[in-house]
Amino acid sequence: MKLTTIIDCDPGHDDVMAILLGGRTTDLRGITTVHGNASLAQTTRNARQVVEFAGLTHVPIAEGMPQPLVRVAQHAPYVHGESGLDGPTLAPPTVALHPSHAVDFLLEQSASLSELVLLPIGPLTNIAIALKRDPGFASRVKQISLMGGSLTFGNVTPAAEFNLWCDPEAAHVVFTSGIPITMIGLNVTHQVLATEPYRRRVRSIGSTTATHVADMLDFYSARETAYTGLAGGSMHDPLAVAALIDPTILTFEPLHVAVEIHGRDTAGMTLCDGRHLGPDFRALKPRTRGEAPNANVAVAVDAARFWELFLDVLATYP
Amino acid sequence: MSLATIIDCDPGHDDVMAILLGARTTDLRAITTVHGNASLEQTTRNARQTVEFAGLTHIPIAAGMAAPLVQAPSYAPEAHGVTGLDGPTLAPPTVPLVPQHAVDYLLAQSRQIADLTLVPVGPLTNIAAALKQDPGFAGRVRQMSIMGGSLTFGNRTPAAEFNIWADPDAAQVVFRSGVPIKLVGLNVTLQVVATPAIRAHIRSLPSTTARHVADILEFYSTQPGNSGAMHDPLAVAALIDPTILTFEPMHVTVETHGSVTRGMTLCDGRHLGPDFRALRHRVRGETPNAEVAVAVDAARFWELFLDVLATYP
Repeated sequence: MKLTTIIDCDPGHDDVMAILLGGRTTDLRGITTVHGNASLAQTTRNARQVVEFAGLTHVPIAEGMPQPLVRVAQHAPYVHGESGLDGPTLAPPTVALHPSHAVDFLLEQSASLSELVLLPIGPLTNIAIALKRDPGFASRVKQISLMGGSLTFGNVTPAAEFNLWCDPEAAHVVFTSGIPITMIGLNVTHQVLATEPYRRRVRSIGSTTATHVADMLDFYSARETAYTGLAGGSMHDPLAVAALIDPTILTFEPLHVAVEIHGRDTAGMTLCDGRHLGPDFRALKPRTRGEAPNANVAVAVDAARFWELFLDVLATYP
Repeated sequence: MSLATIIDCDPGHDDVMAILLGARTTDLRAITTVHGNASLEQTTRNARQTVEFAGLTHIPIAAGMAAPLVQAPSYAPEAHGVTGLDGPTLAPPTVPLVPQHAVDYLLAQSRQIADLTLVPVGPLTNIAAALKQDPGFAGRVRQMSIMGGSLTFGNRTPAAEFNIWADPDAAQVVFRSGVPIKLVGLNVTLQVVATPAIRAHIRSLPSTTARHVADILEFYSTQPGNSGAMHDPLAVAALIDPTILTFEPMHVTVETHGSVTRGMTLCDGRHLGPDFRALRHRVRGETPNAEVAVAVDAARFWELFLDVLATYP
């Protein structure tokens, strides 16, 4: 039986891949949008366009928080373009938004759905507000599989990954909520790249959806290569979906994760207590002396296996 | 010609190994002591005992800072015992200290010795105080090879290694000083461990020094709070044998304000990729201020160390 999910996102090229993957492999009950890769107005518009071209208009979209809990909103036009989804030519969206604010929608859905799994793949503002608005929310969520942070280095700063860096205070609320968390960080997502051969395979599918995806991945990969030198766009967000549906793609270790909210150089860092993993994450096994694990942190990834799954799913779209 | 060095240390079991290695392979001009693994009083006493049993009493010892720049001192009895050098039975020391404070001594030596290399293997309080006391000090130091911090995880906290954690504010002063730095952190030192086989080999050596070293390593390797890692001598090895450690230039800052990351050496290693070698991002950060050790040949270290140890009485 498929998992009941809500994707909380800031599309964003890789967010689209997560929606497409989650739209087929999970029972996707809603998409909530948040500030992040672009302004809330843009990420919401992009989400609407995605469900339209992919034939997923039955999935409700609720718009959420336009800015972080404490800090000023920051976007990533250098990766995603000014629209947050530059590259493909998409029709202006016509699908209606859900009337509720994303936070209300999340609270309502958590009350009516049993075993709800959240897939937050943008800044964690919506989830944090829901947790603060309703103390019962945490216990009504079965699990969170989030894309964010890193076991090793960040991207926006040496310490911090973009989603966490945008709203460290919200991330702190989420990581201290007690909800079982699966964390997919840069240490694995940077190993799954939309390299030219994969982009060719996407385009060769030939469907409207696959053509839009190919246009997105071409733009996104060119930006990633210009920005980081990597050989293609990192498939950050769909890996948070993949973590739920195929246990062979990612390997996890239970770790205690603390979010640094006060650091001068380290704000937004997911400080993972991986001391027992040893200096190269496998050779040594010192005793753990830290706090009890609060997250399963991805430590390894099978990129080829991910692409197999993703290409299979993409081929089912019109 | 061997490098003119001063070892700034808080002995400490592995500090003793650094002194033994540095005294034979460099032109070791002095030992300065600092709070850290134990109180300053204890680390100074331990340094004096070490030069006595190893026949190194010609090397001057100056006692330095008893407390960090800002915070209160914290010691590591869980790794080093209450004396800072539990394990061997050593005679009470008789060798005198030099009359100056370590900071004054460092400043004086930096004027007299051209191309002075510092090997700080404890909290960086003495070095920071010297940098602050005399703005010309940085320009008179050729380089520093520091044991401290980590490219990956800490030991005292998930983020922080003991030496840096014990005085993050001093470490920040040092990393901002402009002195060329080699940083030998836990990510490599935890890979060089005094295994039972190595300890048995050392015990089989006939000298007094080797016997004390065997006792020191026996205690050090069997403490619940310790892994028997050869942290400090690797900062010496970094200077004398380029085949033991591999370095990458990176920008390193010390987090002094974090709620969970205070004392972390934040290394901008983004260009190294997620597993430190597979990917090669462009570096987008600040200009490197340190050469950070990223890999180590443990067998090669032990070859060097055991060769040197065999030369002691």
